[in-house]
Amino acid sequence: MEYMEPYNGASCCTPKTQYYWVDITKDFLTSVNDLKLGELLHDSLFGLFEAMSAIEMMDPKMDAGMLCNRGNKKAKTFDQSIEDGSLKLKDISNADLIGIIDTTFACLVSWLEGHSLAQTVFTNLYLHKPYLIEDRALKAFCLSIYKLLEIIKEYIHKAMVCEEEDFQSMQYGYHLYPDISEQRAIGMLQEVEEDLHKRTRAKHNEVQSSIEVEEIVALYSRIKFVRALYQILSIFRQRKDDVQSSSNDVNKLLNQKLKIASDMLFVMNKTVCLGSYSSSSDLSPALGFEPLINQRLLPPTFPRYTKIKPRSEALGYFVNMVERLKGLINVQSIVAYNQALDFFIEFSKESPCILSRSALQLLYVGSYSIIMNAGSPTFKDILKEAAKLFISPPALVSKSILYNQQAKTYVESFFTHCTRPFSNFLQLCGHNRARQRDKLAHLLDEFTALQDEAERVDLHIHNIFMTCNLSRSHLACFGTWILYHTLRIMIMYLLSGFELELYSAHEYYYIYWYMYEFLYGWLVSALTRADSFLAEQELYNELPKYKGSNKKKNKCKKKPRPYLKESLYYQALQNMCGGYYKALMGFRMDGKLQMPHPQFDSEQVRYDHRFGPFQNLLTPPPVHYREFRELTSPERYQQQPVDSSYLYLSGCKHFHQARQLLEGISPAEKEVTDLLKISKTNFVVLKLLAGGHKKDSTKCPEFDFTLSKHFPIFKLS
Amino acid sequence: MDCEPSSSNTITDIDCISNPETEPNEREAPMSAGAMKLKSWLNKPLRVEMSDKRILVGMFLCTDRDANIILGSCSEYLPDGENASNEEPRMLGLIMVPGKHIVNISIDLWERFVKSDEDIQ
Repeated sequence: MEYMEPYNGASCCTPKTQYYWVDITKDFLTSVNDLKLGELLHDSLFGLFEAMSAIEMMDPKMDAGMLCNRGNKKAKTFDQSIEDGSLKLKDISNADLIGIIDTTFACLVSWLEGHSLAQTVFTNLYLHKPYLIEDRALKAFCLSIYKLLEIIKEYIHKAMVCEEEDFQSMQYGYHLYPDISEQRAIGMLQEVEEDLHKRTRAKHNEVQSSIEVEEIVALYSRIKFVRALYQILSIFRQRKDDVQSSSNDVNKLLNQKLKIASDMLFVMNKTVCLGSYSSSSDLSPALGFEPLINQRLLPPTFPRYTKIKPRSEALGYFVNMVERLKGLINVQSIVAYNQALDFFIEFSKESPCILSRSALQLLYVGSYSIIMNAGSPTFKDILKEAAKLFISPPALVSKSILYNQQAKTYVESFFTHCTRPFSNFLQLCGHNRARQRDKLAHLLDEFTALQDEAERVDLHIHNIFMTCNLSRSHLACFGTWILYHTLRIMIMYLLSGFELELYSAHEYYYIYWYMYEFLYGWLVSALTRADSFLAEQELYNELPKYKGSNKKKNKCKKKPRPYLKESLYYQALQNMCGGYYKALMGFRMDGKLQMPHPQFDSEQVRYDHRFGPFQNLLTPPPVHYREFRELTSPERYQQQPVDSSYLYLSGCKHFHQARQLLEGISPAEKEVTDLLKISKTNFVVLKLLAGGHKKDSTKCPEFDFTLSKHFPIFKLS
Repeated sequence: MDCEPSSSNTITDIDCISNPETEPNEREAPMSAGAMKLKSWLNKPLRVEMSDKRILVGMFLCTDRDANIILGSCSEYLPDGENASNEEPRMLGLIMVPGKHIVNISIDLWERFVKSDEDIQ
């Protein structure tokens, strides 16, 4: 055989359509034997480095195409399945229908948990050609699944709080049928519902087998749930556009739909066992599902097989989702920034699903996502209102200064700069918990810049006051407002490390120390300062109205200080942190805490890493490792010999104080009662330790984070 | 992959890179006939049939003594016949086929074929 001359063909790059194949198998295999062991034959432009990134064929872990051929069953397409009769378009038994519907729900949930659409929802062959289905219930269901996918995607896209690990937006060429209107989809479902309802009645009259009635009820509940869910999402979507219009009616409707959804879920949960499973193999969970149908659509490197959630667990996911959506109804009435922020933080604590997270983002302040909203004048006004509420800066409330053009410019531009970081803060709460930590660190940088500006604006306005001979101070006014948020971000950042289990036990003590000595202390003093500003403002407000209504004045006096509760709460946490710090120092001293060998693990490196994001802050200034060592060295307690029982005892006092502070908070929410329980238990444990209990044991006490994600209970074992 | 070159081979490779125009017989270590032949096939479309009947078509980039083959811009075709013949090929990119899974290898000589056709005319 003759071969062509070698050439460096650029033509190789474009795929050809015509080939002239010549078999060289034998030639090739004999030629290869001439190569030395380990010798690679390749072109000058190709090297081992490139070779390393090649995908190995016939390796089950790398070769996606391989699974197609595995087992004796081939993935059949919709048309093929219809042809050989394995897929029915009509006369589908109720058990099969329930199975199909429940599995589709399970697929939907798996999709929402971050798997690809192709490997979840679109393994359902019926969804490939929904218009060909003759069974009305299934057709309506399939079409509304398309509508659901579409609306969910819209939510997630607009909210922009998903990361690649949360959600895959690839559609793999599947067209999400927009050609059927919302009304039509809902109408179809409604018709099916009525039909099913009639059938249950008819069945009752004929005294049919109870199983059949049960099946129809099960089917009915599923169809009704899909409709309710779709309508809820669609109402939420519309509502965010027009904030004011008849929000009471809409809320009523929403509540009604949400109630239907949870009722239906209850029925569905009870009837989940009625759905049929395909008996042929474990891989296909119900009639019409072909887990490998889209295998060839996937990129060559891809997780090979997606485990679809079990049906009952998927329903549980929906139950939680509906519960969270119920909680969202109220968010629209919240306008004040701080209230919203607290709501967002609280909402995020339960690690909500991607859909409810996204919905929350879209609902606050109406229309688009918060980020999109950031530039709008409304958001700026909201922030001004928030600052007013927090510390009532004279620059925003005092009439004499409101008309000062220069002051106005400063204030306006300051608030313009505030919008982005503050909206980022809200948006951040929509991300998943792990990403939040990352983003908090970045947010700190933004707030550092704000802090600087706030202080300058404060100074300017203060000077204007001075020149106008007004006897009011404006120093550290906006500054305190920004500082308050900065501190909250810092604390959230440190605490999230406990939640994400990033710290090892021997690191705990400086984390708690930092919060105890600095962050919570600063936070409490920021609140105190804000409070005194507020009091001053109230005084000013009352002065001109002195002759006026006495009633109002009394009211003001009766009102407890606005920050009382918050301040108590933070003081309690400060004491708890102090308690942990002292206790952990005691553990260290007793050798109960295993420390890494300093040669292999520098504490300073760890410390610098843990507090890395704080490095650029002006207030509060970062505390460096050297300072930390100085401040915590036992030599500081010169008046008294420091041993572990002294530390346990003072830790004990801290927990006792925390308990007293927490008891002063009313009404006590679940979080407060949990913290109380933790403080009480730790108090007892430390008291025992101080008394010399298990002094010689070097076993490390356990840290039990079940009650609180951030504050553990000590357990001696 | 288990085809790490020994140091001596790396040297010849470097030679080859620094002076690709060098005639093989002018080199210190002359290339074997087999290596020459393989070299002439480099950068040409290769069609490899695997033991599971799938067919891979891609640019021949690299091989070693165990006939492990690396193909670039590779497409995967399902076996002919049955019901999959109408399916589109799947783009895989850079792949390595272990020699033990290779059933058949063909090279594309379309250009040569066309050329000879023209000659006849």
